[in-house]
Amino acid sequence: MPSDPAKTPSTGQNFVSSRQGLAPSLTTVGFYEEIEHTADLALKCGGPDLDSFFRSAAMGMYHLIGIGKTRPDGTLTQTVALEAMDMESLLVDWLGELAYLAESQNLVIGTIQFQTLSDTRIEAVLTGSRVSRIEKVIKAVTYHNLTIQKTHEGYAATVVFDV
Amino acid sequence: MDLTKLEQISPFTYQIPASWRADMQVPARIVGDPAILEAASADRSLEQLVNTACLPGIVNYALAMPDVHQGYGFPIGGVAATAAPDGVISPGGVGYDINCGVRLLGTHLLREEILPHLDGLISALYAHCPSGVGKGGPIRLKAKELRQVLERGARWALQRGLASDSDLERTEGDGCLAGADAGCVSERALERGRDQIGTLGAGNHFIEVDVVAEVFDATAADRMGLAPDKVVVQIHCGSRGLGHQVCTDYVKRFQKAIHTYGLRLPDRELVCAPLNSPEGRDYLAAMTAAANYAFANRQVLTHAIRHSFEQTLAGKVARHQVFQIYDIAHNMARIETHPVGGRPRKLCVHRKGATRAFGPGSSELPPVYRDIGQPVLVPGSMGTCSWVLRGTQTAMEQTFGSSCHGAGRRLSRRQARKQFKGVTLRRELEHAGIHVMAGSMSGLAEEAPGAYKDVNRVVDVVHGAGIALKVARLVPLAVIKG
Repeated sequence: MPSDPAKTPSTGQNFVSSRQGLAPSLTTVGFYEEIEHTADLALKCGGPDLDSFFRSAAMGMYHLIGIGKTRPDGTLTQTVALEAMDMESLLVDWLGELAYLAESQNLVIGTIQFQTLSDTRIEAVLTGSRVSRIEKVIKAVTYHNLTIQKTHEGYAATVVFDV
Repeated sequence: MDLTKLEQISPFTYQIPASWRADMQVPARIVGDPAILEAASADRSLEQLVNTACLPGIVNYALAMPDVHQGYGFPIGGVAATAAPDGVISPGGVGYDINCGVRLLGTHLLREEILPHLDGLISALYAHCPSGVGKGGPIRLKAKELRQVLERGARWALQRGLASDSDLERTEGDGCLAGADAGCVSERALERGRDQIGTLGAGNHFIEVDVVAEVFDATAADRMGLAPDKVVVQIHCGSRGLGHQVCTDYVKRFQKAIHTYGLRLPDRELVCAPLNSPEGRDYLAAMTAAANYAFANRQVLTHAIRHSFEQTLAGKVARHQVFQIYDIAHNMARIETHPVGGRPRKLCVHRKGATRAFGPGSSELPPVYRDIGQPVLVPGSMGTCSWVLRGTQTAMEQTFGSSCHGAGRRLSRRQARKQFKGVTLRRELEHAGIHVMAGSMSGLAEEAPGAYKDVNRVVDVVHGAGIALKVARLVPLAVIKG
């Protein structure tokens, strides 16, 4: 297991950069995969550390709503501060925040700079840009059967989205 | 799940005994037939139904309607009643799209009268009924007026000149549920609701122009204004971002409440709180506010549909007015009285992907339908057919006055995208005489008729079980998808 990410705020260089934007090919340390769900959408995601795990989750969700290949130019900046009772809740809140920005403002995030990242807290600076339209709506990120597995390989979870 | 261990307790009802799993509080029942059971066992529907049977304070049994399919927390097509006021209320048992529902509008027009004008009508509907992700509408509500929407529902639209008395009378709960409190709705939810009134949204929401293909119950059909070849319109949508945010806020708040009240649950999406707790009362008031928003939303869309008919048909076709047949919710929790142990008891009935199907005589029905039972609206998939049914006394006795809400999905969205292409599908539907306007081709593919179960089979089961009886079958002429 890597060192406590809460003590080592990430600059996100392994995953995205403001120059390259949020593109699936840049998933160097995390993973995500759409999995079958009859009525809604489900995503399996993971990474060797908290930083890559939360980034992979974000990118996987973007993939599900059809903006995974968007290259935001980073003209807009948004700060996010989230605090939750446990890591599962933090993941729900994190993805919920990005889904809200996408639905309400058509805002797609290209870079994520975590200032604080722990099991229960995120403070981050997000940069991205607005897109003309988003094809699919995420109504909500659910807690359904949500358990974050922590293994010697890192973190992994399956998230179900109401669409 | 080993289906051979299910008990068949009537020709169309199967039971999973409470002994199936140690944490079940009551048995679980499925209204279905062998094919529906087989389909339900292919995903996690039945496991989710068993989880629902673990809700604290649940009475009689957890129920799945024949359109059951995998959801989150509850299965879609799930019904659970908890004792009021001592039992619990679960936001996940209502779902994020609070008061997602269906409205059916009637017309005096026949198919051949509308066909020459269909292209123009669809264009007008598409222009006047905003659809798509996060799409706002022409009305931007100030804080005070939004509060009125939340507390008065469709009655707000009546005061604004966007509804008639008859519209409200023919809406579940008169389109205005008591007990709503805008003060229990978060600022973010309010912000999301400010400009989305009168919008369709995306996903599986739609406006569909149909024609009555077949009438099964002439008396009930006549009462509803349905006759062979008559044109009708369906609206399927809900409370938009405001409702999604209300549910999100309370699912989060209830994560703590279950510890406060010492509740143990098999799935965190089932989080709940006692109805008489501060959390439970606040959620019920906020959910009711979101439900009223949804009634107002469908009412404003109704006004836009009337305007579209007027714009397209005035001076060309006589009697082009649009009247309301009924409006029902299929994601809701309502306080109702039903028999438990042979005695009437006040309950909190959660319906997630299930509708009311109140039988004749219910005081909650408008006078026009009181002797025939409540209209039950069952939209199918675009390209197949939809149904109008009527509620029964059997439903009141066996299913907490509930029935199915649609066809139910067969394929996952991912599988649907693999099997169908939006552009091809649209061409095929056009070839079959069904006009389609859609904001997203991949979204259209996910909603392909082939992704859904056979709605006729679902309706045959509820009809056979006696919980809702066939009145009329509708076939689509045109579909607008978000």
